[in-house]
Amino acid sequence: MKLYFTCILLVFCIASFVRSSSSATKHLFLGISPQDLNYYKSSSDTIKCKDGSKKFSKSQLNDDFCDCPDGTDEPGTSACPNSKFYCQNAGHVSQFLFSSRVNDGICDCCDGSDEYDGKVKCPNTCWEAGKVARDRLMKKIGTYSEGVTLRKREIELAKVGIAKDEAELMKLKNEEKILKGLVEQLKEHKEQIEKAEEKERLQKEKEENEKRKAEEALRETGKAEEEGKVENEKVEQEASNEDKTKESTHDDKIGNIEDSFVNEGTEEDVNKGDPSNKVENSYTSKTEGVPLNREEEHVLDKKHESASPRHNDDSAVSTEVDEEAGSKVSSGEDKKTENEASEITEGLSREELGRRIASRWTGESTENEGGIKHDTDDSHEEMHKDEHDEEEYDNYASDSDEEETGKYADDIEDDADDEADEGYEEENHDDSTSSKYDIDDESYLSETNSSNNPSWLEKIQRTFRNVLDAVNLFKTPVNISDASHIRKEYDQASAKLSKIQSRMSSLTQKLEHDFGPEKEFYAFYDRCFEIKQNKYVYKVCPYKQASQEEGHSTTRLGRWDKFEDGYKMMVFSNGDKCWNGPDRSMKVKLRCGLKNEITDVDEPSRCEYVAILSTPALCLEDKLKELQDKLDLMNKEQPREHDEL
Amino acid sequence: MKRIAFFFLLFLASQTVHSWKKDEFRACDQTPFCKRARFRKPGSCTLIATDVSISDGDLTAKLVPKAQQDHDQDPIKPLTLSVSVYQDGILRLKIDEDPSLDPPKKRFQVPDVILPEFESKKLWLQSASTEKLDGNIAGLSSVVYLSDGYEAVLRHDPFEVYVREKAGNRRVVSLNSHGLFDFEQLRVKKEDEDWEERFRGHTDTRPYGPQSISFDVSFYESDFVYGIPEHASSFALKPTRGPGVEESEPYRLFNLDVFEYVHDSPFGIYGSIPFMVSHGKSGKSSGFFWLNAAEMQIDVLAKGWDAEDGILMPIDQNRIDTFWMTEAGIVDTFFFIGPGPKDVVKQYMSVTGLPAMPQLFSTAYHQCRWNYRDEEDVENVDSKFDEHDIPYDVLWLDIEHTDGKRYFTWDKLLFPHPEEMQRKLAAKGRHMVTIVDPHIKRDDSFDLHKDASQRGYYVKDATGKDFDGWCWPGSSSYPDVLNPEIRSWWSEKFSYKNYVGSTPSLYIWNDMNEPSVFNGPEVTMPRDVLHLGGVEHRELHNAYGYYFHMATADGLVKRGDGKDRPFVLSRAFFAGSQRYGAVWTGDNSADWDHLRVSVPMILSLGLTGMSFSGADVGGFFGNPEPELLVRWYQLGAYYPFFRGHAHHDTKRREPWLFGERNTALMRDAIRIRYTLLPYFYTLFREANVTGVPVVRPLWMEFPSDEAAFSNDEAFMVGNSLLVQGIYETRAKHASVYLPGKESWYDLRTGTAYKGGKTHKLEVSEESIPAFQRAGTIVPRKDRFRRSSTQMMHDPFTLVIALNTFQEAEGELYLDDGKSFDFKQGAYIHRCEGR
Repeated sequence: MKLYFTCILLVFCIASFVRSSSSATKHLFLGISPQDLNYYKSSSDTIKCKDGSKKFSKSQLNDDFCDCPDGTDEPGTSACPNSKFYCQNAGHVSQFLFSSRVNDGICDCCDGSDEYDGKVKCPNTCWEAGKVARDRLMKKIGTYSEGVTLRKREIELAKVGIAKDEAELMKLKNEEKILKGLVEQLKEHKEQIEKAEEKERLQKEKEENEKRKAEEALRETGKAEEEGKVENEKVEQEASNEDKTKESTHDDKIGNIEDSFVNEGTEEDVNKGDPSNKVENSYTSKTEGVPLNREEEHVLDKKHESASPRHNDDSAVSTEVDEEAGSKVSSGEDKKTENEASEITEGLSREELGRRIASRWTGESTENEGGIKHDTDDSHEEMHKDEHDEEEYDNYASDSDEEETGKYADDIEDDADDEADEGYEEENHDDSTSSKYDIDDESYLSETNSSNNPSWLEKIQRTFRNVLDAVNLFKTPVNISDASHIRKEYDQASAKLSKIQSRMSSLTQKLEHDFGPEKEFYAFYDRCFEIKQNKYVYKVCPYKQASQEEGHSTTRLGRWDKFEDGYKMMVFSNGDKCWNGPDRSMKVKLRCGLKNEITDVDEPSRCEYVAILSTPALCLEDKLKELQDKLDLMNKEQPREHDEL
Repeated sequence: MKRIAFFFLLFLASQTVHSWKKDEFRACDQTPFCKRARFRKPGSCTLIATDVSISDGDLTAKLVPKAQQDHDQDPIKPLTLSVSVYQDGILRLKIDEDPSLDPPKKRFQVPDVILPEFESKKLWLQSASTEKLDGNIAGLSSVVYLSDGYEAVLRHDPFEVYVREKAGNRRVVSLNSHGLFDFEQLRVKKEDEDWEERFRGHTDTRPYGPQSISFDVSFYESDFVYGIPEHASSFALKPTRGPGVEESEPYRLFNLDVFEYVHDSPFGIYGSIPFMVSHGKSGKSSGFFWLNAAEMQIDVLAKGWDAEDGILMPIDQNRIDTFWMTEAGIVDTFFFIGPGPKDVVKQYMSVTGLPAMPQLFSTAYHQCRWNYRDEEDVENVDSKFDEHDIPYDVLWLDIEHTDGKRYFTWDKLLFPHPEEMQRKLAAKGRHMVTIVDPHIKRDDSFDLHKDASQRGYYVKDATGKDFDGWCWPGSSSYPDVLNPEIRSWWSEKFSYKNYVGSTPSLYIWNDMNEPSVFNGPEVTMPRDVLHLGGVEHRELHNAYGYYFHMATADGLVKRGDGKDRPFVLSRAFFAGSQRYGAVWTGDNSADWDHLRVSVPMILSLGLTGMSFSGADVGGFFGNPEPELLVRWYQLGAYYPFFRGHAHHDTKRREPWLFGERNTALMRDAIRIRYTLLPYFYTLFREANVTGVPVVRPLWMEFPSDEAAFSNDEAFMVGNSLLVQGIYETRAKHASVYLPGKESWYDLRTGTAYKGGKTHKLEVSEESIPAFQRAGTIVPRKDRFRRSSTQMMHDPFTLVIALNTFQEAEGELYLDDGKSFDFKQGAYIHRCEGR
């Protein structure tokens, strides 16, 4: 205990503590890379520190005492913190170690050269390790070389795709221009007809008194006329749906292409009408649902469609859900916050109080929880999941479900009038239309481009002329059939115009995106990648959003932000807010791989997600070359003893 | 509708989500014993000492009321008083109810805190001299020898106990000089009485009724008082009552798990050490320790608080008066005469024990987070340290590593191979720490719970059933660690056989041992909960964490067959905790104020024995801006306990995540700690032998330097280094006071600065102000390794700073860094001079 009395006064000498470096001569050029050797082997006796700050003599080289601040004089010892130790690792890859690794009792170099002071004996494992590494490297090279090809193809496709998109856009612009003119004219006509009708109506009223008796007869005549018209036009159609009939009428006139528009509308209706789609986002049910509502003559088109992936519609719909649900969730979270802040704890049960207090640290919800949730034994689950999200979400989701179901039901009814609720259409339009177009690109283009058939525009123009020719605007009384014809034409044409416009805007938007230096990410547009981890499904839709789904609840992990790190990472930011934390965000690291797939998802910090996506887009030729060079190098440097074997 | 209204109400109250919930903790005026005591007037104590005699080597007396009582009042039974004297200048004063008079219950005396060998230091008093005080007053005093030059005095009427220097009759420490002494005796409840106390929906049955104690203590030759941790407040204790003091709470000693504690408050947090040290211009220090584990409240009284009371006090001595109140227990107090600050600390430690000698690795850098999620995460973090050539020694796992917060278990999905994981770390000379908290999940399939409940080892509620509280695992019970048998049972749980998945490189972290009970009053255990022998929780509350820490540390000693020094970090503590391991300042926040207050908090801990302490680097709650984080690493590198930690809602903040520049700055800061490890280890040995803390206030090294008395921005590491943090953003300058006559050398640049003055220094982002005093030798190891383990054989560097006489002194202590062999002399200790 009396340590202080045991103290001995001594003149202290630093050297007594410094290990004598007997091994220094033996290892004079230790830790120096071949490229550097000449620097040290210079004839003169003094060597400069590489940073130019000092000089040292050859005897100071690797003498286990640091002379150069940059460590030039101690490449083979741990004396200078800034020096690097070179190990050759014949049979494997050579390596530079931090000086802190030299003679620290841990074997770092596979050739064991970093541990030479005898404290530990490091076996040379370079050949074995090198073989494993070489094998791995070869595999990687295999992946890369295949990937490079895939990537090239991808780039070619992207070029074509973009060219098509641009061509389409140009075309659409033209069409828009023409259609605009048509719509204008039709509008005029329609208005004239309406005026004429009004006039007629007034006249009729006037005449009513006089022709009271003739009234009935007149009306019957009108009816008969109408029926006759319908019968005439509806030649082969036997649709049970009366309203559909009207559409079909047009189909005949306008042609196949128009069908796709109409179908699309129908399809949307189907989506809207089927709440299960909302919730499950399953496209199987959707594709199943579609044919039921389709008429036989469209089957051909349909084949096209169902053959192509249907991600887009789904994502469009789910976006919708996410947005609404998301905002609701966050408002739910606000309320949660309110609860956390509660100063009123006296009315609570003991258990509630315990949870409430615990939640301050954990940030977990305490509201409305039965014992079940907290009793779950999987702590990691508790950590990962956002219980409150789930809870609140359920409530709100069901609310919104109902609401939307109602809306959809309305839509269906409205559909009877052909055009759905405008406001809603607008909302949903972009995504669904665009996706539709993308998917049907080929068919669309091929049909529009086929020179044999007149384009739909010509058709529509022709129809228009026919209609105009057929309808005598200035004849009174107005032919009812003519009037409805004009009206119909007008409705059709303006609907078409708005579709073209939205298509144009979505195309423009698409083309504004950054598809990478060689457009290698073009194919990512309108694609989603999924991975299931435990009970969550993570879904990454480049250029759109990333989300995490658990059962019926969806949490947005981020909206598309940008590429980072030289196109090696995709960033999704501003996701749903985390309770007591940041807005969720996701970074997707890109790796070379033969398939586009997510291989891993992680949440290193709360609500900050990281995913790894393998894709041929990252299989760069330069990198392949680099890897091949590395392999060549490794194959060259084989330790002698193994050569003999 | 109702629900909506409820939500709305809550919304209104939501403004303070992120702040300390003051209302949830009892203020003094919500605490009947405290409120009552604070209303007492000086001189209201009527007790006088009678039957004064020497018996069994003690000076004993009875305390009885001077005047005949009114008949309608309860009879005041005589109290027993004894004064004992121990080697090295320690007086012990005990006052309790007379057991021969059949009190309703034996009052609680805190066991297993005082060192067993302390009794052997008792000086057997032979006689007391009697003297008449000041001639004209009738009162007599009994005087006994205390140590060379010091006497202990018991004045009879009114009763007062004090210590004085023989020469010049100068007082040192006194008790009841202001007649505030009060001792509520246990009694039978009257029919019309209601003893229950209610607080925020919690009812304390208080079956034994009022039993509080309060008294005044005065420190002489004193300008400041220090100590009585744990509070997030200034090091020199500010007055809490008296002229010029705004309405303030007393310093509260009550171990509590406070969510987001504020940085300047006398409210109680995780630990309690009722030990106060005074210091003054004369360069002298004295100390006072009250061994009592019930809730305590302490007022520091501003000068002049007693101006109108007409109490005669010696006027020629600078004095600080304090007022001590407690809810239960007895008077078992210790007066320490000093005279130097280091003497006071030593005297205190001879009662409560010296700090344990830590393992070398535990004095290096620790990396923690709530939570490193799985084995892959652990491996990743570990390899990133290597990738960035940043040394670290210990990786920590918080509660999420367990299977559903069942301690001693592993989450099978996240940590399927705990042994392999630890072995991988150990291969690089690194260690792991896992958390083990006192709350045991009430789950019948959990063996630990089954075992504890079958044996009846849990704390019981007021009705005698196992107390059931809410904590991390949900419904939980708490082992009654007051009971030595249960402590022994607990310590067995750390054997490699019982703790499946543990390896010799695994050490332990005790959190939540205040104990934290989420649904209890003030987030802790109800006071009427019962421990061994019917002891109420109110009586031992502040020591619960201490016993738990003790049992855990003993478990690690047993695990290693008594050969391996334990490492246990605890959040709660009590007097004596220094014998069992390290503590940290709990859940601080990532802001500059918390960085700033970490220094006075660590100084207070060191002064009261808890030498091995630190604050979470970076701040537990919230996200530190990179600059704050860097400054925290630069300061934290000098904390005795150096650990980075973060809440699970925060962003990752490992040192390499903030760009190359900041990585380099944090690497440099951590490396400074590693170069200084030989110095730190030597200081830990000094603490282990003398009790003098590793990190100490300036005035401990410069006792007469008045300018240093209230300086808690800067601190000394040992006697050679002075360090001052940078506590504000984008600081360009810092004013640093360098004490003493000798020069100081900037640690980084070697620039010399004169002592005895305040320097305005330019500040760079690269370091915080740190200086070596002229005349000292600091041993270092300048080679960087992955962890301290690999530095074992590296050469030393001695940094010698000569003083004006061209001399320097320093020490170096070395041993194997982990075993107890040093106790058998397997060490080298050099003090070098000239």
